[in-house]
Amino acid sequence: MAASTRDTDVEPTRTRRSASHTRLWGWLLLPPAAWMMAFFVSSIIIVVLLSFGHVGPTGRPVFGASGANYAALWNETYLSVFLRSVVYASLTVLLCLLIGYPVAYTIALHGGRYKNALVAALVIPFFASYLIRMYAWSTLLSDEGLVNQALRWFGLSEGVRFLNTPGAVVAGLTYGFVIFMVLPVYASLERMDLALIEAGKDLYHGPLRTFFAVTLPATRAGVLGGVLLVLLPALGDFVSAQLLGGPSTFMIGNLIQQQFFESQNQPLGSALTVVLMIALLVFMVFYLRSTDRQRRES
Amino acid sequence: MTTLDAAAASSATPSATTPVAPAPARRRRRSVEGRPRIAVAFTALFFVVLYLPIVVVVLFSFNSRKSLSSFESFSTRWYVQFFNDDALLSSLRASLVISGVAMVGSLILGTMLALALERVSSRPSRILGTTALVPLVTPEIVTGVAALLLFTGLGIKLSLMTVIIAEITFSISYVAVIVRGRLSAMSDDVEEAARDLGCTPFQAVRLVILPAILPALVASGLLVFALVFDDFVLAFFTTGVDPQPLPVRIYSQIRLSISPAINAVGTCMMLVSILLIAFSLVVPRLFGRRDSGLDLISGG
Amino acid sequence: MTLPTSGPALDRRDFLRGALGLGALAALAGCGFSGGDATASASASGASASLAPAAKATIDGDLVYFNWAEYLDPDVLKGFQKEYGVKIIETNYDSYPSMMAKLSSGNEYDVVFPGSKEVAQLRAASKLQRIDKAQLKNADQVFGVNPYFDDPWYDSKSDYSVPFTMYKTGIAYRKDKVTTMSGSWNDMWNTSASGHIFVLDEADEAIGMAALKLGLDINTISPDDLAKIKEALLAQKPLLRGYSTDDINNMAGGNAWIHHMWSGDFLNLVNNTVKDPGNYEFLAPKEGTPLGSDTYAIPANAAHPGTALVFIDYLLRPENIDKNVTYLGYPMPTKSSAAAFAKVSEGHPACTVTVEDLGRANVFKTQTPEGKAARDAMWTEVKAS
Repeated sequence: MAASTRDTDVEPTRTRRSASHTRLWGWLLLPPAAWMMAFFVSSIIIVVLLSFGHVGPTGRPVFGASGANYAALWNETYLSVFLRSVVYASLTVLLCLLIGYPVAYTIALHGGRYKNALVAALVIPFFASYLIRMYAWSTLLSDEGLVNQALRWFGLSEGVRFLNTPGAVVAGLTYGFVIFMVLPVYASLERMDLALIEAGKDLYHGPLRTFFAVTLPATRAGVLGGVLLVLLPALGDFVSAQLLGGPSTFMIGNLIQQQFFESQNQPLGSALTVVLMIALLVFMVFYLRSTDRQRRES
Repeated sequence: MTTLDAAAASSATPSATTPVAPAPARRRRRSVEGRPRIAVAFTALFFVVLYLPIVVVVLFSFNSRKSLSSFESFSTRWYVQFFNDDALLSSLRASLVISGVAMVGSLILGTMLALALERVSSRPSRILGTTALVPLVTPEIVTGVAALLLFTGLGIKLSLMTVIIAEITFSISYVAVIVRGRLSAMSDDVEEAARDLGCTPFQAVRLVILPAILPALVASGLLVFALVFDDFVLAFFTTGVDPQPLPVRIYSQIRLSISPAINAVGTCMMLVSILLIAFSLVVPRLFGRRDSGLDLISGG
Repeated sequence: MTLPTSGPALDRRDFLRGALGLGALAALAGCGFSGGDATASASASGASASLAPAAKATIDGDLVYFNWAEYLDPDVLKGFQKEYGVKIIETNYDSYPSMMAKLSSGNEYDVVFPGSKEVAQLRAASKLQRIDKAQLKNADQVFGVNPYFDDPWYDSKSDYSVPFTMYKTGIAYRKDKVTTMSGSWNDMWNTSASGHIFVLDEADEAIGMAALKLGLDINTISPDDLAKIKEALLAQKPLLRGYSTDDINNMAGGNAWIHHMWSGDFLNLVNNTVKDPGNYEFLAPKEGTPLGSDTYAIPANAAHPGTALVFIDYLLRPENIDKNVTYLGYPMPTKSSAAAFAKVSEGHPACTVTVEDLGRANVFKTQTPEGKAARDAMWTEVKAS
């Protein structure tokens, strides 16, 4: 799933190929490229165009050339929603990394013959529907839910308010997307030459220093892939905030959904979508740069 | 053919060539250091938390009351209700159709894309190819909003068809990335050799490339099926008059008042997925490979 | 700000103009869009055909059904499919605005269940079919019973809709947790339940709640009033646990001690969900409560209006009305359902809604596009801050 970081340039062999051969492969590119043009690129263009439009007198969105929607977004409320989304998503990425890395490490290096079974066990909850699992969390963590019942039964606490807090939103996002961190990190650990670690132990003394000097750099591609795969859905999510959030946990995804389905202000919703895309574009540039650098280093 | 095949496979995955026997020895040596014990405990805790809501889903699917917070007594009434709920069943069917068609469609288009990207070096086609990978780095809500505007703008009626189109668009890049990973690990000398031996390009694809990328196809097919089946955001934006996909129905129930029959659905879905995953572990072995579909899902 | 109108949500001419503006896009538009044009013109001709005289109540295909999730007794739906040998293709909405969004995007449904305000909007936009009462064998169950529904404000002469349920929005609370209820909307700002109060996640309901507390019109669009309402809603935020329409489970899970709630949901909570119904109470604040009614209606572009008419007629059978009243917990303005509602609402007189109540002022009505935009923007800002 995270193979996007793989180095695929095998230039020398390519030059050997005959022209007719290349043309055949070129034709293969046509159908998928046409599909993506018709259904993806064109739709993104519409979003961008509509973000400069407005709602017409009859309630229909109308194309235009005004920056009014973007101007409307430039106020404290929208900026704070945007900032909040970035903070939640970043915390989610961080948590996924802190939780996902050790898990991937343990499975990859100490999983032994249970490795496949453990990876399967990671994937299975994924099938019980994201929405159902999120909803299950909301019932588990409710004030009279099982977790609080257990706390009371053990006399640990009179009850903790887990639900409808920013923490619950971030926890929900982390729970939902941690698998996207574990799998690519696991894959990069699997690909790593274990002799490196052994050598590192002799060189650096102590497992911790070996880890930071050898293992972590060797799995950088996996980590970066995981960061990307977690960040994307986390930044656009509106389910976690809706099911686990409180009165002040509105995220950009909620705002976009609200504009499209509640207020029916599609141009404003489009402008929000464009802003979200631009933010991710900035991140992608940073991401590509760092994978490029890594490729050059290795 | 089988030797070619095996050669391709073994050159593709280092893990397949690694002997299995030394693993326990390595493990023992590590565990002497004491560190793994914490790591193992942490991983165990991780799995407990991972499965906690799953346990709740299964448990409350057998609750006799409507409550989702207190368990009264064992009952199968929600299963009875689920199997008698036409709306829920038709949603399940719709989701299966969407995932199935989207899987086939994105496998075909995604494999074409992967082959072309891997073998064509001309600049315009590379740019085109890279564009096709952009959905992978676009949040679903953006894709969903864009698809909704495209369809309504063109006056295309929202239906199962529009959901399928949106899901294929979203999934092509997943297939392309996984299959391409497999292809790039495969030496194209094998294919050149086949051409030299008189294979037509078509035969080369059928006899050499397809068998070699079969595990990648199985893996990406399963992955797409799972992702699409569980996908809520795209379906939410593009669904129309036809029976709505399961996640969308679940969502509209959650916003008002959810029925525990949903837990019965979740439990059944998980059972099916366990079977599917067992299948994906077994299928590659049927083709005589060590590596399973799961290795490929995880990019290994 | 969006009055639903006929045709696709985006004007196709606008769309093409925008697309052509980008020269590079023109070729693309040509290839990707031809199929869409065919569908669009097909649906347009379908729409003009349905402007013909009201449909006859004969089965003309499966029923495409668009409603809230679980908003009719499943047994009743099953019975219809069995008796008439047709399938019900069910699709759900999770709020009225999202129902309107789906309707205005051109989707074809056979039967919908709009609230009174939505009926007014849909009728004004010619999005509903006229319903010929003579086609309904059970019309006498609901028409000629109450003058209000024979000529309601939202649909002159009830030409385009058939009355369904009546509801009230009030406050549910936990008697074992909160003892300081005053019987006023101020209870939604009750500091002794701080962190355990939920407000319904709907613009109209939230604005209505604050407006009634402040003594304002629930349909106000005056900037001054909206500023006051916004202030009140923001002042309430620190006390809130959340904005949510999942009122039953919020109460049952113990997160909510005070919940802005619909009367029928409350009855479902105490009758079907919790073990200790005695701990829950519903109050209809003394300033008055938003009241409303839902309807059955047939969209103008319905593909099977005949089946829809048969279905509505089937729902009007006294035994089915009783089943639905019991299942939903909402009263219906029909000849004989009072007994069923009295049974389901026993011990909770505050959940009663009478036709006389509906005659009073607190009914959500249609605002001007600018007014609606102002209300929506204010609500978005409250939620987002």
